[in-house]
Amino acid sequence: MSAFAIEFQGVCKSFRRQEVLRGTTMQVEKGKTFAFLGRNGAGKTTAIGLMMGLLKRDAGEIRVLNLDPATQAIEVRRRVGYLAEDQTMYGWMRCEEILRFMAPFYPTWDHQLALKYAKDFEVPLATRIKHLSKGQNVRLGLVLALAHRPELVILDDPALGLDPIMRKQFNRDLITHLQGEGRTVFYSSHLLYEVEPVADEVAILDHGQIVRHAETEDLRREVKQISLSREAAGMLAQQAKILDERPDGNDVAIIVEEAPAVIQALEQEGVEHRVVNLNLDEIFEAYVAGNKSDLAAMQRIAGPCEVTS
Amino acid sequence: MLIRIEKGSAVPISSQIAEQIATLCASGKLVSGDRLPSVRELARELAVNQNTILRVYERMVREGLLEMRHGQGTFVAEDVGGLTRTAHRKRLTEELRQVARQGVGLGLDADDLHELLSAALEQVQRLSKSKIEVTK
Repeated sequence: MSAFAIEFQGVCKSFRRQEVLRGTTMQVEKGKTFAFLGRNGAGKTTAIGLMMGLLKRDAGEIRVLNLDPATQAIEVRRRVGYLAEDQTMYGWMRCEEILRFMAPFYPTWDHQLALKYAKDFEVPLATRIKHLSKGQNVRLGLVLALAHRPELVILDDPALGLDPIMRKQFNRDLITHLQGEGRTVFYSSHLLYEVEPVADEVAILDHGQIVRHAETEDLRREVKQISLSREAAGMLAQQAKILDERPDGNDVAIIVEEAPAVIQALEQEGVEHRVVNLNLDEIFEAYVAGNKSDLAAMQRIAGPCEVTS
Repeated sequence: MLIRIEKGSAVPISSQIAEQIATLCASGKLVSGDRLPSVRELARELAVNQNTILRVYERMVREGLLEMRHGQGTFVAEDVGGLTRTAHRKRLTEELRQVARQGVGLGLDADDLHELLSAALEQVQRLSKSKIEVTK
């Protein structure tokens, strides 16, 4: 038995000449709530499509609940609760009809639970699907994804159609029903301030590669902004990985990945500096849109060192 | 126990929760022997990951503020007064340092800063006095 609910090893996927995933590698431990972050077009939906066996990978290995979605797609879909980004359902069915329609596909379907979720998420049971609002459509999709009590839930941007009250209710349900029962949740999101209270771990996907995978709390502890003189920053650029750099008066404010070690080094050297804690939005921005121009150039001159594109 | 989470803050959620529990202890709203909500209950109430709450409780147990009694739950520790006072002094010192830094940045000198602090203190004392009179 693998300890992982989802494994990606060097996965590549292109659409014609457009490379979307470029050697994506990640592991999602069983029982964890895992947030998958990335800008639009970073490859999140493609990765999820591969997990569900909706797309075929070009290279690499994927395991979902120890199954290969490329050859065992039906089994994967039976055991995973899945919400697509643009879930399309039979428009002519009423919500209540689709709940009964879906039930026989899943041996573990819990109809009482389906009705409870429908009530919690304010899904109008008597309404035809084609008449639902966008938000109601997402919420109906969520009901369908969760009602068979899957051991792994994969949700492509579930918060998209939920208003703040429903998001909180959804987070609560996720915490009590899914986390509380030790199930694995993998979800993509744009709303980082919603992700932070809930997720055990986050992975940031950028240009088809995982640029950071960490426990949410560790990420907050390790990525910080430090203001210091230009000379000191230049020195630092040779040792530490700088994600973002911008002028701060006469000084320069840099965002570094291993802040505790960097701060310790600065203190030992007696270099004057100021540390700013960042929120998850700012950390995300530093990874996917960080300004690395000057110092990154220095890094390149200074010698070999990892610079993420 | 009323705890408020500020989302998107630069203060991590675990620290927000820990600080507020410590404040409740220091202000006497929580006293030695009080039982805290279970990890599950508080996680649900705040819509925060259970592991986060568990880690906060565990850390506060290590710091001596809380104690876990097997099978009974988590409680405010005996003799919590001294500990919370130390913790709060530490936190206040840090906050005052930041205020001082801002003041210096704005070009204020020591006298200006002392004056501002005295004025603020006076205001707070006046407010609490008028509150006591109202309740009488």
